[in-house]
Amino acid sequence: MAIETQPERAEPTGRGPETAGGGERPWWQHMGAHTGLIGAVAGYFLGHWLGNFLGGDFARSSLSDENDVAIVLGYSFAVIGWLAGLGVFNDLFLLMRGKPLPEEPRFLGQEGPGLAKYFRFTLDHKVVGIQYLYGMIAYFLTGGLFAMAIRTELLSPNYHIIGPEQYLMVVGEHGTMMMMMMSSVVLGPFGQYFGPLLIGSKRVAFPRLEALGFWLTPPAYIILLSSILFGGFPTGWTGYEPLATQATTGMDAYFFAFGLMGISMILAGFNMIVTIINFRAPGMRWSRLPMFVWGQFTVSWLQVLAVPVLVGACYMGLTDRTFQTAFFTNQLGGSSFLYQNLFWFFGHPEVYILALPGFGIVTEIISTFCRKPLFGYKVQVAGLLGVATLSFFVWQHHLFDSGINPDMRPLFMLTTELISIPTGFIYLVAMGTFWKARIRFTIPMLFALAFYFNFLIGGISGVFLSDVPADTTEHGSFFVMAHFHYTIMGGLIFAFFGGLYYWLPKMFGIKLNETLGKIHFWTMFLFFNTTFLPLFALGMLGMPRRVFTYARNLETLNDWVSISAFCLGASMLIFLFNFVMSMAFWRQREVGNPWRSRSLEWQLSTPPPAENFRRVPVILAGPYDYGVKDALPVADLDPPPGVIGSAYAPATRGPVTREVED
Amino acid sequence: MAEMAAQPSPSAAVQAEDEAFYHESGINAAWTGSRLAIGGLAFLFGCFAFAYFYLRSLNSAGRWQGSGFVQPAVWLGTTIMVLALLSASVNWYGLQRIKAGRKSIWQIAGLFALAMGLAAVALQIWQLTTLPFPPGSSGYSSVFTGFYPVFLTLQLAVLIWLEILLARSRFIPAMSFVEQPPTVTETQSVQRFQASLSSFTTVWSFMALIAFSFWFLFYAL
Amino acid sequence: MSSAEIPLPAGRHAAEREQRRIWWLVAVWLLLSLAACLVIWFVWYPHLPPGDMTTSARHQQFDIAVLAVTAAPVILGVFCYFAYVLVVFRARPGDDSDGAPIYGNAKIQAAWIIGTSMIVLWLFVFGTVELIVPAGAGAGEGASPIWKQSGAQTVAWTPGTNDILQVQVIGQQWTWSYRYPQFGGMESTVLDLPVNTPITFHVTSLDVIHSFWPYLLGVKADANPQVDNVAYTTARQTGSFIVRCNELCGIWHGAMTSNGTVMTPVAFKVWATAVQAREKANGTLAALPPYALTYDPTVIPQLGKDLVNVVGVTGAPGYFYGPGNPVTP
Repeated sequence: MAIETQPERAEPTGRGPETAGGGERPWWQHMGAHTGLIGAVAGYFLGHWLGNFLGGDFARSSLSDENDVAIVLGYSFAVIGWLAGLGVFNDLFLLMRGKPLPEEPRFLGQEGPGLAKYFRFTLDHKVVGIQYLYGMIAYFLTGGLFAMAIRTELLSPNYHIIGPEQYLMVVGEHGTMMMMMMSSVVLGPFGQYFGPLLIGSKRVAFPRLEALGFWLTPPAYIILLSSILFGGFPTGWTGYEPLATQATTGMDAYFFAFGLMGISMILAGFNMIVTIINFRAPGMRWSRLPMFVWGQFTVSWLQVLAVPVLVGACYMGLTDRTFQTAFFTNQLGGSSFLYQNLFWFFGHPEVYILALPGFGIVTEIISTFCRKPLFGYKVQVAGLLGVATLSFFVWQHHLFDSGINPDMRPLFMLTTELISIPTGFIYLVAMGTFWKARIRFTIPMLFALAFYFNFLIGGISGVFLSDVPADTTEHGSFFVMAHFHYTIMGGLIFAFFGGLYYWLPKMFGIKLNETLGKIHFWTMFLFFNTTFLPLFALGMLGMPRRVFTYARNLETLNDWVSISAFCLGASMLIFLFNFVMSMAFWRQREVGNPWRSRSLEWQLSTPPPAENFRRVPVILAGPYDYGVKDALPVADLDPPPGVIGSAYAPATRGPVTREVED
Repeated sequence: MAEMAAQPSPSAAVQAEDEAFYHESGINAAWTGSRLAIGGLAFLFGCFAFAYFYLRSLNSAGRWQGSGFVQPAVWLGTTIMVLALLSASVNWYGLQRIKAGRKSIWQIAGLFALAMGLAAVALQIWQLTTLPFPPGSSGYSSVFTGFYPVFLTLQLAVLIWLEILLARSRFIPAMSFVEQPPTVTETQSVQRFQASLSSFTTVWSFMALIAFSFWFLFYAL
Repeated sequence: MSSAEIPLPAGRHAAEREQRRIWWLVAVWLLLSLAACLVIWFVWYPHLPPGDMTTSARHQQFDIAVLAVTAAPVILGVFCYFAYVLVVFRARPGDDSDGAPIYGNAKIQAAWIIGTSMIVLWLFVFGTVELIVPAGAGAGEGASPIWKQSGAQTVAWTPGTNDILQVQVIGQQWTWSYRYPQFGGMESTVLDLPVNTPITFHVTSLDVIHSFWPYLLGVKADANPQVDNVAYTTARQTGSFIVRCNELCGIWHGAMTSNGTVMTPVAFKVWATAVQAREKANGTLAALPPYALTYDPTVIPQLGKDLVNVVGVTGAPGYFYGPGNPVTP
């Protein structure tokens, strides 16, 4: 049967009369963040009123104007209003009426230049990636400001700058802002931007879910900060019950924001898994997948499977505070241990959600700047998969001293120590890649090396913590603090900056200033270590976490740490200065492939075309074949006609009533 | 092989090839996505199941069910569960019929499935407002009043998917399910519909299974 | 290196040099590791936190020293290797070539995997032994501990015998108090303990989760409401110590400290009986709830027999909520 091409398909370079992407309407007539804001405010007031209407009879709430139901409903409707104002539901309503979805503007090349698209609900994963980039930098700096406040308070054990409630508010905001938001600090900007590019795909599987994942982060951020208006929350980022039920209304913001961010993570992970499985270009076998994509893939599994448990736990915390359920109240049939188990079942995979993308990025960087293939590609993949799988089986190591069943502890000690084996594979691969390499010390490479240095210290301290007897002194002390700052900040954030310096030329065609970048790196590395290394000692010397006072003999060490922390903050300012000046004013052009990388994203123009690739590429080789004579290029970007057509079962073969795989 | 200067746009045939590639990917994505969604949902419901078993075994302060505990009406709970099961079964039956080419039968089945699903949700809401115990009076009551709002919200969300399918099916000619439509666009549209319908059926059947499991936990155990 | 009058074939020359360098690297690593381990074991170990005041603290010192001795060669190995490769394999300026296309080496990979697995298994076995032998290593074991200490469970405690001293640690927002059931359930705000006596801590809370951490005693046990968390230790030196709260419990968590002293058994007995007598005399003991492993603050037996009605809140005898309230147990 003759197949006719679709008569309505226009040439992609022509502009049709329909100006869906831009064109004549001014920016404020499109739906975007500004309409979202209006929706959010309207929604909040509606929800708050509804909450008072429904729940205003609880004695505590009506007397003290502290109705948790009103606040939670206010937040819920605010988020719905925000999304509605952004236009997230427009396509849904179209579908519900049975209409087909409109042609996305970017597919017709009409997204257009200009900044407006970054404030809209857009389906281009590259735009979403850039939205994430700016968002994550903002969230990171906010969390960092809170950290500066913490260290200011800890300068002296008996001279206090802020009161105890404010101190806990600051501690909780810092921790939650970082743990909640930074889980997407690498996968958001770089995962969303480069994931599809690296697998050779023109698009992602569910672009609307992906964009929704981003647009849930600003409300989560604002809601978390709004807790300050209610006096903050006193539980720190872990939200332990029953203190969380006892807490005043600022606590609702924590549970709600965390649940919202959880939904964002689930959607992002869901989209990425389906994209990586189904949208790989022909020839992109699993054994040729770039390591960054492997990292993204494994983390997305953690997001989809572990984060729903967080959403459940946050929801239970909210119902305990609003409907007055008794999930976590011992006297009424609940249990404080229930929260701890649920939270840490999520919490441990969460820290691997934070750590694994860092592994992915630094692996890309070292291969490019050693100009060598990765040593033991399969070993690294096994390491990533091993860490991800095992991370579900270790959560009770957070509960060693809590009074849980004692016979669980050797088991969890074993699983936690076992996790260090796949983590060690990452080091094996790095060490092997450096052997007989030609190492170039560019700024991304410096950050990658610092990653390995820091993560080693962080990881080994983790082994100390996994040992139950040693954990008796170390649990809940500044030793733990040092451990996770080394792994998460020393690992993930260094990897983030490495990735930023590495990939910014590709995303924007702009280079960050080299001198400032080197200053940023060295100050950050130096002050990071001087800040966090002494914390191991502080913890071992008996200083618990989240305290505003401590033993007098620890004051000198605390002062050293605080001043180092201020210097670390200053190094972040150097970065911020560099970033703003380079992006807005200096704009040093850097198009092309400055790192001479073999990887697929560097074979495209800068910035990549609207549809990523003109044609579906055919992948010919892995991206790590440096030093190999006559190595094939990584992909054929212009395959002859018929090649793509033979790569899949064509849509027009056989009767339509073939069994779609169920 | 970076190609940057203006290139002639690919010919229409080659573009069609690429679009067909992504059409196939999209169809497979529906399959993958539905299984993945089931995985995520399983962990979400598993969270509540864990809470159920944990609190039951701890029985702290003797308040898993406590003295004076009144079970919610078994007939109501069972009706709700049966409605969910029936809805999934009717839809599954309809799916088999549309695979054999009978679109209208699926539409009727789908409408019934939608109606029964909505009835289950409505009855559940009614049950939650007329419970014989306050939410926090026992561990059982906490898990019950905590779980069902989440479950019915998700049921509603999945039912929206069914509504979308029903709405879409109005614009697909019945003949397209019997023999291949004349244009590529139409073929792709029908295939997308079929993939989405299959995925929906899988997810909805999973939800029915969850409805049954939690009915078992709350009423039978 | 011998003089280069007779030029060797370039490949062998370079390979030999490389071999030599590798041996140097290994030697440097071994030496540094040995030095580090010696310093850790002989210099650092006696001063390691948490000190040697109790058996659990001493075992933890040993534990941490062994962990450090195991970890030091690993860390030093990785750092030495990194230093080596970053110097030897750096790209010389102007060198734009690629590195050698090495995709892997099965022997090295296998050796690494086996080596790391063995270290991990060793750590697991060691950690388990160290957990069991010192009766739970000072960590809270929950209400049904498995690894118990040896000693006699008695109703009244006698100094100089093997009797276990039972101490209940009650955490509440934001203070610690201690009850001694073997002394009539008397309550103290300072934690005084006898030396060379097996001690059992029963840690519980009245409201939210706290954590009992007398740092120098090497004990840490979370205080959960309505849960009895048991931890063991035996003090071996007299001296004073501070108890801190180790689990965020509200705004004054940082200030939730308490003092304690380890004293001779005889002095302890004198102190405890004195406190018991004083509390009996001034009615404190009668006002306290009867000693129990956990307490429910909503149950107040002293609330009296008459119904109290204040601003619409009815108090029933012994309970906050009236008998008709479905929440009443």
